[in-house]
Amino acid sequence: MPADPQPPGTGARIPDGDEARLVARTLAGDRAAFGTLVERYAAQARRVARAVLGDPDDADDAAQDGLLSALVKLAQYDPRRPFGPWLMRIVANAATDRRRRRTVRWTEQLDPGLAGGGPRPDADAERAALGERLRAALKQLTPRRRMAVVLFDVEGYAHGEIAEILGIPEGTVRSEVFHARRQLRALLQDWKEA
Amino acid sequence: MNDTPTRFDHRPDPVLGAALRHALEPGDQAAFVARVVAGFDVARTAAAPTWEVLAGWAGRGIAAATVAALLAGLLLARSPRASVGVEEAFASTAEGGATTALLTGLRPPDASVVFATLVER
Repeated sequence: MPADPQPPGTGARIPDGDEARLVARTLAGDRAAFGTLVERYAAQARRVARAVLGDPDDADDAAQDGLLSALVKLAQYDPRRPFGPWLMRIVANAATDRRRRRTVRWTEQLDPGLAGGGPRPDADAERAALGERLRAALKQLTPRRRMAVVLFDVEGYAHGEIAEILGIPEGTVRSEVFHARRQLRALLQDWKEA
Repeated sequence: MNDTPTRFDHRPDPVLGAALRHALEPGDQAAFVARVVAGFDVARTAAAPTWEVLAGWAGRGIAAATVAALLAGLLLARSPRASVGVEEAFASTAEGGATTALLTGLRPPDASVVFATLVER
């Protein structure tokens, strides 16, 4: 099973391929076709949900809710349009709803040493520490800003598609991505300079 | 990371993207996929409109109702209804008398019995 069809760091979105055929088979009751769709989009859905919720368990619950909600609404999907943005909108809504329903746990607490620009960790731990630092930095952004930057820089969606996913104007998406990047860079500045 | 971002930068930042991707990387993918796919049947049931669910049951419902009606008819047809004549009813109704016997008897009364009741009065 391909764990994730998108190579890390490319920002390239999952190419639209045979989703329409898989959707048609799923609607006809083909569980394997649904499984293929889930495999293809699971990692992306989980990352988007985590961008909203922070806690990985909450995020997985929301991603699961979103994917199954998409299955319930699958007959409403227009196969002439790309599948990814349609699905991500449902996942983003599921994550946002979950966030509204309860106080979300943020398990990632920024290490005081990292927050204060303390000594840089050993090279072996650098990657893990950067991940921790980024998660803490993301926490400082609004959920919509987090989703915008993750959908753009991580998942490779275009501004117009993100506008469709988040239900906001394209200009607002550009602004959210811009401000998210600026905030993240500012929060990570001392990391770069260390 | 791109150090000089502008509002018009429409290209994804590969360095920031890779770092964020690593930071948000989910855990066991296979377990998650299995968990979602396990909900397939329940979600599909929820997806079906009510009338479709009812229609799905209609065929079996009609068949069951037909079988039940046939069985009921068969049982009624085969059950031996006590064919009580007026004479037996008259004999068993000690206090009700002939009128009761005439009303409870299922077979047409014999004329002699009717005559006897009149004589009795």
